[in-house]
Amino acid sequence: MPEVVIAKPREGKFNKNAARRVRVAGKIPAVLYGAGHEAIAVEVDPRQISRILYSESGHNTIFDVDLSGTGTAKAMIVDWQLDPIKDSLIHIDLKRIALDKTLKVSVPIRLVGTAIGVKAEGGILDQVLREVEIECLPGDIPSHIDVDVTNLALHAVVRVKDLPHTDKYKFLAEEETTVAHVVSIREEAAPAVDAVAAAGPAEPEVAKKGKTEAEGEAKK
Amino acid sequence: MLMPKKVKYRKQQKGKRRGKAWRGSSLAFGEYGLKVLEAGYITDRQIEASRIAMTRFIKRGGKIWLRLFPDKPITKKPAEVRMGSGKGALDHWVAVVKPGKILFEMEGVAPEIAQEAMRLASNKLPLKTKFVQRPGVIKTAAEKETAA
Repeated sequence: MPEVVIAKPREGKFNKNAARRVRVAGKIPAVLYGAGHEAIAVEVDPRQISRILYSESGHNTIFDVDLSGTGTAKAMIVDWQLDPIKDSLIHIDLKRIALDKTLKVSVPIRLVGTAIGVKAEGGILDQVLREVEIECLPGDIPSHIDVDVTNLALHAVVRVKDLPHTDKYKFLAEEETTVAHVVSIREEAAPAVDAVAAAGPAEPEVAKKGKTEAEGEAKK
Repeated sequence: MLMPKKVKYRKQQKGKRRGKAWRGSSLAFGEYGLKVLEAGYITDRQIEASRIAMTRFIKRGGKIWLRLFPDKPITKKPAEVRMGSGKGALDHWVAVVKPGKILFEMEGVAPEIAQEAMRLASNKLPLKTKFVQRPGVIKTAAEKETAA
């Protein structure tokens, strides 16, 4: 069942102090905008938002926002701020969704299988691109894009053009963008005894002040 | 040892370490990371010791990223020297870290191997840290096998 997020419109000031008061009360400040409507500052329950963010479809989930007293709206999480230490939600941006218009979303890429390059050739699979931007209708947003890497040999690359293409969505990233590759690992050489201790604090080169001669001549 | 190739000024003032690390506080490259929970300095030697500890533990298993660089010069006066007569000579380099900063990242190993490698790396550091991983990373190697 799709989640219904209860969003209470905020009143009074919208400064740091007011936002902190909202957080102390166990809610988080949020803003709802888009689809030609005016932006509304609201407060929402962080547990509901976390449930959506960590669900199968993640931040691309479309849910109903119940604006207490002023009706409901279909919305999506477009941005979220986390506390760097506690990883708790601080603020979220909700965007109203028009179900008949295409939108740009980032969808996670999931690598399926174990690459030959990892299994037989001793490489490691390095996923460079974890999310890819696509354009599609809200109803067609995939929860993730799977790509089979079983036949990926050492130094082989999976690019955006290798991802499964369908009529439902269009990739906005460059076709040649690397998604994942199997790289070889360089083993750490045994360090020379006391080499680390012997190395003193070498002085770096100090950038010279003023213009160099070449720069001066160029100006003339 | 890590240090800048070129600097604008040879010596720096101490500065302050207020606030949290709003930048560099989320995983950017790997699946696992080590997040620092206190503000402080991490020296070039500590970074190198942590890197070696991790690399030796994971052997040929994975890839490591260092997300910090010691770019602040620390000076020191020689022993038994009276105060004054100018700032001391360059002694070592440090990376200034604030709580929330991701220090190291790792990929290509099982979660328990990554956690142990990060623990060993953390033992070389003077600050409290915590192990972090991307949501959705399969918890144990056994689960990974079954998923494959």
